[in-house]
Amino acid sequence: MMDASMNRRRFFAASAAGVATLAIARAARAQEGAQEGQANTGAANTVMESDRFKSVQLPSKGPPVMNQAKRDELEHHIHCQCGCNLDVYTCRTTDFSCQVSPAMHRDVMALVAGGYSGPEIIAAFTAVYGDRVLMAPPSTGFDLAAWITPFVALSAGIGLVFVVLRRLRAPVLAPAISPASADATPSEQARLDALVRNDDR
Amino acid sequence: MILIGELSLWVALLMATWGATVGFAGAYYKRRELIASAERASYATFAFLILAALGLWTALLNSDFSFRYVASYTSANLPSIYKVTAFWAGQSGSLLLWAFILSGYSAIAVWTNRSRNRELMPYVTATLSAITLFFVMTLCFGSNPYERLDWIPPDGTGLNPQLQNPGMAIHPPNLYLGYIGTAVPFAFAIAALITRRLDAGWLAAVRRWTLVSWFFNTTGIILGMWWAYVELGWGGYWAWDPVENASFLPWLINTAFLHSIMVQEKRGMLRKWNVTLVVSAFLMAILGTFITRSGIISSVHSFAQSSVGYWFLGFLVLAIALTVYLVATRLNDLEAKAELESLVSREASFLFNNLLLVGIAFAVLWGTLFPILSEAVTNNKITVGPPFFNKVNIPLGLALLALTGIGPLIAWRRASAENLKRQFTGPLLAGITTGAALFAVGMRDFGALVAYTLCGFVSGTIIQEFWKGVGARRRMYGENPVMALVRLVARNRRRYGGYIVHVGIVILFAAFAGLAFKEEFDVTLKGGETYEATDPYGNQWRFVSQGVSRYDELNRQTTAVLLDSYRNGKKVGVIKTEKRQYMDSRGAPTFQPATEVGIMEGIREDVYVVLAGVIGEDTAEMRITFNPLVWWVWYGGMIMAVGGLIVMWPQAEKRRAQAGYSTVLQPAEQQS
Repeated sequence: MMDASMNRRRFFAASAAGVATLAIARAARAQEGAQEGQANTGAANTVMESDRFKSVQLPSKGPPVMNQAKRDELEHHIHCQCGCNLDVYTCRTTDFSCQVSPAMHRDVMALVAGGYSGPEIIAAFTAVYGDRVLMAPPSTGFDLAAWITPFVALSAGIGLVFVVLRRLRAPVLAPAISPASADATPSEQARLDALVRNDDR
Repeated sequence: MILIGELSLWVALLMATWGATVGFAGAYYKRRELIASAERASYATFAFLILAALGLWTALLNSDFSFRYVASYTSANLPSIYKVTAFWAGQSGSLLLWAFILSGYSAIAVWTNRSRNRELMPYVTATLSAITLFFVMTLCFGSNPYERLDWIPPDGTGLNPQLQNPGMAIHPPNLYLGYIGTAVPFAFAIAALITRRLDAGWLAAVRRWTLVSWFFNTTGIILGMWWAYVELGWGGYWAWDPVENASFLPWLINTAFLHSIMVQEKRGMLRKWNVTLVVSAFLMAILGTFITRSGIISSVHSFAQSSVGYWFLGFLVLAIALTVYLVATRLNDLEAKAELESLVSREASFLFNNLLLVGIAFAVLWGTLFPILSEAVTNNKITVGPPFFNKVNIPLGLALLALTGIGPLIAWRRASAENLKRQFTGPLLAGITTGAALFAVGMRDFGALVAYTLCGFVSGTIIQEFWKGVGARRRMYGENPVMALVRLVARNRRRYGGYIVHVGIVILFAAFAGLAFKEEFDVTLKGGETYEATDPYGNQWRFVSQGVSRYDELNRQTTAVLLDSYRNGKKVGVIKTEKRQYMDSRGAPTFQPATEVGIMEGIREDVYVVLAGVIGEDTAEMRITFNPLVWWVWYGGMIMAVGGLIVMWPQAEKRRAQAGYSTVLQPAEQQS
C-alpha cells in the first residue's frame, strides 16, 4: 500500500523538487569531492570506498514532516550501495560491518530533520546516485517497460487462452467428429455422459 | 581414495561420452546391443561419479590443502560436518553434486524402465547421458574440484560463516535434487518427440519424475527460506534474490505441468502445451544455473564469476534450438484429440491456472533479467528488488489462490448452473465469513483482507471435497469418520494428496499475508536498560538487556546480548542474539562477522532480534522485529511436502484402479 502512494506522490513531488534538488545535489557532490581529501570528515565519518557512499545533503527547509516509522519505511525503498542486495534499513540493522548503510541512514535522518518529505528524499538520493539507489525500477522512460511488460504479457496470455478455448471448442459443432454419439439414442447418450462424468471425477 | 576419485571423474567422462554416442546410434539404427551398452554405460557413469564424489569428500575431511577447492572452502579447525557440506559450498564441488545426482537419476530411470517404455528408453538413455556428459565435461575442463595448487598452504580459507548452518547441510542437495529432477522428464519429452510417440504413454513416466522434482524443489525452497530467516538476519525469508527466483521458476513450471497433465490424461488436450512445459522446466533449471554461475546478475548466492556460466549459456541455446526444431516438426502429432465442451469446465479452469503460473514465472524471469536489459538499452544500472516483485506478483498470486478454490469445484467437461450453485455456496460463504470476521475484529489492510478471504474460500472448497468424500465412504462402507478419511486419502492419493498440497498453499498464503502486520524497532540498549514495544496483537512487551558479553567458542569469537523478555508483564524467556567472528586455526579472523539471530518462536508471531552493532563496551544496537505467523510458513511447507509424498507414493495408480477410484466418489458426485 505504501508503495503505491509513495510512487504517486513521488511522481508529483519529483517534478517540482527535481530541478532544485538536482542543482543542490550536484553542489553537494562537489562538496563531497572536497571532503574526500580530508581524513574522516563528512557525513560518514568513516573510511569507506568513495565510489560507494556519496553524501546527499540539502539545506534545512523547515520542521520534520515524517516520524521514525515513516522514515524507516522510506529506507526500505533506498538501495544500500555497499554491494549487498539489501535496502538501507535492512542492511544497517543487520550487517555489523557495513559502513555505507549507516552513512546513508545519517543522510536520510538529516534530510528528515530538514523537513523533506519521502518523495523529496528519494529524488535527492536519485539525483546523487542515479536510479540504482532505488529498490525498484523507476516508472519512467525505458524502465517503465519493467512494470508494464508482465501485465501486457498476461493480457496477451488471456487472449491466447480464449483463442485456444474457442479452437478447442469449435469441432463440437461438427457432427462428423462423434459418429458414435450421433448413432446413440438420447437415453443412451445421457447414460454415456453420466458414466463419463463419474469416471472423470 | 582421492586419486581414485580424481581418475574416476575422467573415466566418468569416457563413460558418459560412450553412453551418449552409442545411445543415439543404437536408438537411431535400432541396434539392441548398442542400446544395452548405453544403458550399462549410464550405470557405470553413476558408479564412477560416486567414486569421484567419495574422493572429494575424503580430500575435504582430511584437509588436503594441496587441492584448491579444499583450501578455498575449508580450514583445519572447521567442524567435520561442515567439511562434509563444503562439498557443495563452491563452484566445482556443487557441479560435481549436479553430475552425481543426475547420473543417479539416469541410472534409476534406466533401471525402473528396463521393461517399460522400451520405444522411448533408447533416446531417454542417450539424452540423459548427453546431459551428464555436458556436466562432466564442465567439471573436467571448466571447473575441476581436483585442481591442485602449486604449493600447500598451512591452512585453508575456511567456510563462509553463513554456510555453517545445519540448513546448509540439506537445503542445497534438496534444491539440486529438484532442479536436476527436471532432466528426466526433459529426456522423456525429447524421446517422445524424436520417436513421435506423443500419446499419453510418455506422460505416465514423466508425471512421477516431475512429482519427484517438484517435491524436492518445494522442500529445497522452504529449507532455503528457513535458512535465510534464521541465518541472514534481514528479518524475512524471501527477498526475490535472483537465485531465489531461479529456484522458483522450475517450481512454477512444474506446478503448471502437474495440473495441465490431468487435462491431457483425461481429455487428450494441451499436448503441445505439456511438452512445452516439461521442456521449459528443464530449461529454467539450466537458466537458473547460468544466472548463478556466470555472475551476470548480482546476487547473495553468486558463485565466483567464471567462464563456466557461459558453458551453461551455450548448453541452454543448444537445448532450446533442439527443442524448438523437434516441436516445430511434430506439430501435427501434437494436435488435441478431443474437444472442449464448455468454457465452464475443469479443463478450462486449468488453462487459466496454467496461465497464471506461467504468467508469474514470466514476471519473475522478466524482473530478474531486466537490470541487464535496462543497462544494455539505457546504460543505466538499476535494481529490481522486492518492491517490484511484490507489486507485480501479489495480485497474480491472489488470483492463483482464488483458482485453487475454484478449480476443484467445477466439473470436468461441462458444469451446469445448478451444479455450480451447489458447489460454490459453501466455500463462498466460508470466504465471506472469514473476511467479514477479520474486518469486524479490526483488520483494515486491504491486501491482507483479500488474502484471508480467499484463504477462507479455498479452505471451504477443500473441506467440502473431503466432507463429501468421507460421507460417500461412510454411506457405502459404514466406516467411522476417521477410517473413512484415512481410506479416502489412501485410495485416492492423487486427488486428495493434491488437496493436502492445497492446504499447505492456503497456510503459506495466510502466513505471507501476516507480513503486512510486521513491526520493526531500532533499539539501542545499555546493560540493565529496558525497551518497551507493542506487538501487532496489542501485547505489551518489555525487553531488558543483560549487557554485552564476549567469549570464544569452537572456531569463533562471539559477541552476545541477552534480553530478558516480558509479555504483558510476565517473563516469557531470554533471547540471545549474537555476532560471530570466525577464526582460522592460527587465530586470524576469517570473513566478515556473521549474524546469529535471536528468535523466540511462537504460533502467533516470532520475536526476532538482530544484533546490529556494539557501541563501546556495553551498549548494543539491535533490531527487534515482531514477525507474525512465520511459524506457519514452515508448517505450510511441511504439509505441502506431505501432500506431495502422498501423491507420488508408489502403487497409487494401481490401487486407485483396484479400489474403484470412481466408484467411491460416485455418491458424492451424484449429490453434488
